[in-house]
Amino acid sequence: MATILKLDNVSKLYGSLRALDGVTLSLPDNAYISLLGPSGSGKTTLLRVIAGFERQDGGGVLLAGESLDGVPAHRRNIGFVFQNFALFPHLSVARNISFGLENSEGTARPSAGVIAAKVRDIVALTGLGGLEERGVAQISGGQRQRVALARTLVTEPGLVLLDEPLGALDANLRTRMRDELRAIRERLGVTFLHVTGSETEALAMGDSLIVLDRGRIGQIDAPDTVYNRPASPAVARFLNCYNLFEGSLGEGAFVGPAGRFALDAAAAASKGGGPAYAVRHDRIEVRPPAAPAGADEVRIEGAFVASEYTGATQLSFFRLDDGRLVEVEAHLSHRSPAAYGADERYGLVWKRRDALVYA
Amino acid sequence: MTMTALSDGLAEARIEQPKPQRTTLWLVLPGVLWMTLFLVLPMLMMVYVSFWTQTTFAITPVLTTKSWVNFFSSDTYLTALWTTIRIWLTVLAATLLVGYPTALFVGLFVRNKTLQTVLLVLCVIPFWTSFLIRVLAWRPMLGKEGAINLVLQGLHLTSAPIEALLFSELSVVIGMTQIYCVFMVGPIAFMLGRIDPNVLEAARDLGAGFGRIFRTIILPLSMPGVVVGAIFVSVMVLGEFATSAALSGRKVNLLGNIIVTQVGSLKWAFAAVVGVVLTVIMGVVVAALLRVVDLRKEL
Amino acid sequence: MQSTLIKPALATYTALFLLFLYAPFVVLAILSFQTGPEGGPQFPIIEWSTYWYRHLLGLVPPSRIAPLPIDESLLRSLGLAFMTMVVSTVLGVASAQAFRTRFAGSGIVFYLIVLGMMVPGVLVGLGMSLVANALGIDRHWWSTAFVLHVVYTFPFAFLVMLAIFNRFDESVEEASWSLGVPPGRTFRKVTFPLIFPGVLSAMLFAFTLSYDEFSRTLFASGRDLTLPLAIYGTFSVEIHPNVFAFGVLTTLFSFALLAVYAALMTLSIRRAKRVALQEEAA
Repeated sequence: MATILKLDNVSKLYGSLRALDGVTLSLPDNAYISLLGPSGSGKTTLLRVIAGFERQDGGGVLLAGESLDGVPAHRRNIGFVFQNFALFPHLSVARNISFGLENSEGTARPSAGVIAAKVRDIVALTGLGGLEERGVAQISGGQRQRVALARTLVTEPGLVLLDEPLGALDANLRTRMRDELRAIRERLGVTFLHVTGSETEALAMGDSLIVLDRGRIGQIDAPDTVYNRPASPAVARFLNCYNLFEGSLGEGAFVGPAGRFALDAAAAASKGGGPAYAVRHDRIEVRPPAAPAGADEVRIEGAFVASEYTGATQLSFFRLDDGRLVEVEAHLSHRSPAAYGADERYGLVWKRRDALVYA
Repeated sequence: MTMTALSDGLAEARIEQPKPQRTTLWLVLPGVLWMTLFLVLPMLMMVYVSFWTQTTFAITPVLTTKSWVNFFSSDTYLTALWTTIRIWLTVLAATLLVGYPTALFVGLFVRNKTLQTVLLVLCVIPFWTSFLIRVLAWRPMLGKEGAINLVLQGLHLTSAPIEALLFSELSVVIGMTQIYCVFMVGPIAFMLGRIDPNVLEAARDLGAGFGRIFRTIILPLSMPGVVVGAIFVSVMVLGEFATSAALSGRKVNLLGNIIVTQVGSLKWAFAAVVGVVLTVIMGVVVAALLRVVDLRKEL
Repeated sequence: MQSTLIKPALATYTALFLLFLYAPFVVLAILSFQTGPEGGPQFPIIEWSTYWYRHLLGLVPPSRIAPLPIDESLLRSLGLAFMTMVVSTVLGVASAQAFRTRFAGSGIVFYLIVLGMMVPGVLVGLGMSLVANALGIDRHWWSTAFVLHVVYTFPFAFLVMLAIFNRFDESVEEASWSLGVPPGRTFRKVTFPLIFPGVLSAMLFAFTLSYDEFSRTLFASGRDLTLPLAIYGTFSVEIHPNVFAFGVLTTLFSFALLAVYAALMTLSIRRAKRVALQEEAA
């Protein structure tokens, strides 16, 4: 696959704070890329550097092989969709969309007929038909989101950056817009770089997923790889679906305050960033306290605290003897929700091979 | 520390564009040049010329302190200096006394935003009339056959018209107070409007009387407003000459009037000396007022 | 409690305060309808008449009272106020735009600009005429007086624009750049329309302050009088009700200006709301 964007050791400083610390990556053309990072991880800074709103302090940015060093934002051919949409409040929907075409630099400006045709196409694609003459204050949040997208896409950018584009929408709309964003992108064949702080959004949207951790790349992989094999404890923590245990790596076992976990030969210490031991919420099985563990299993005990029913899953919390909480997620398609007694002790059991061990 | 450094950094970076320094320079340069050439340079020139030699009809750039000696040894000038300071202090006190209760009412007692705005707009409307017309309007008010004397006699409070009302120091003080008191009302009302009513409510619940609440809460919290108002009024009154020219019948000579007269008779060096004296007084007054309350901390 | 008495007391006081502010002007307006040419600027009103208004406009036979030199001075004042308005608004917008980025020395520049509205007219006026003398240039309302008017009104325009830019959402500008629109065009097509209400206020400030300005003009304008100088000239001589009539007229003019400003403001706000109405109708 051709590379559309390349970042080479990009760093950005705010005073003594390293917002970006040597970021290197390349984005394939015609793909949907999610960029996941907690707040403060530098993800918005990264987008703003790529867009040219801010200049990096070191390293290089290349778009389709050309260096963007010294190229101002308006000559980069990179679209940007803002979290607050940043629509032009004094212009109608149609004029917002045609704005970029009508005001582009000199020779690039298409004729009025061409502009009208392009606007018509993009309005149809984004489902904004009938709203063209409205003011942008008089349409709903979802429609504003579409205008922001249409306004960017109509200028045919080589790359579209989306800064938490669904953050300002309510939950229902967010799910619907996810599908639409994917569909629109596939129609146009342009690369989307979608920044989000939500792990479910990142996993759902991206053809590939970049995890940013304190100004550095934590992992770049397909979403299921990231989900199943996070590259570091930090990435596992952002994904919000792993129980992480601290401790140290011993002979054939991981030893920590929570107990001694025997290791599977294949799973042992394949990755760095630790030492840490991670088990996904849905890989843990809850058993009565008396039930023993199998030969290939690890078992600890905890007291039930509370559980949360979300429809498709049940999330239960257990407190270990050292005080830390362990989360267990049960998929209810296989079983009905379990009723645990408060403060009663249960065995928490998982397969050795399901554990991830970080050296 | 790191937090402020971070937020500062972010604020700076948000508006950064390629080559920000050059654009900013070109945007700010015309204004800076204008102010340097037409404000700073004239003021420096004034200081310089105050040391020039004054002949009957002209000045020559031969440095001397003669004009300065002349100023401090002349009764006329020293009287004018004293009159200026006296009238400034009187007007400052008068605007504060006249304005504070109104500011108290508008800022603290009127909690309806619309009514508050209406009252403030009512205070500002007179500014839409020419300053000079507002000064002149006091002549038919204060004159021997003026409105005030007519009303007083009509109410049989006085038997004969009070002549001292017009063409006296009193008329200048009255005129200036009316013209400048709004500059006192505005800032004070603004500061009072920011007092949380719950604080006053709590004080009242604890049994504090209005006098006590006023002394311990309202007055200290309104001080920044008083200082800002005092700076406005001081700077304007100290630079005044029109009100005294219109209402004192040439009996009250402020430093401003002296400058006008000296310039009229081409005594540029003397005028410059008076100008420098006035500038120094103003600088001292503003600096002193700013020391009373640390505005940056309060606002 | 006491405060139940304090509120009505303060309300009464405020009413008296407003009377104090307005009474002189009411008296002046009444006296402007004094009969002429024999009626003086005091009570009682001998006979109600519009004589002094006609006197002002040159519609009465010549009498011993010279007409105010308003026709030419009015034109000068309007021209001066217009020039001042344009220049100080441009300077104000440019400087405030520069202050959106932090730059070395911004603190000093800020005080330098604000100083312009603080230094009394007598002092800058005197200083300016000294400079003009030293350089041997003539003083005119359109040169030396004009630059001083801008020194005075530019800080007001600057502060107004600074407040406007403080509340300005910069992401719309970035959005425009990312659509391929160069910064200069972005300023014209996005920034300027959005800050336009502020620009109107800055213009209004500059125009009215300059139109009414006289202490700077007195020193720096040379022989030709502006309107405030024509009025100032009457201070030294006996005044007649024609000055009062003139006061009434200039006040009306100011209110007309305010009305134009209000109309323009409403128009620019309504432009945004118009679409809302269409939507409700649909």
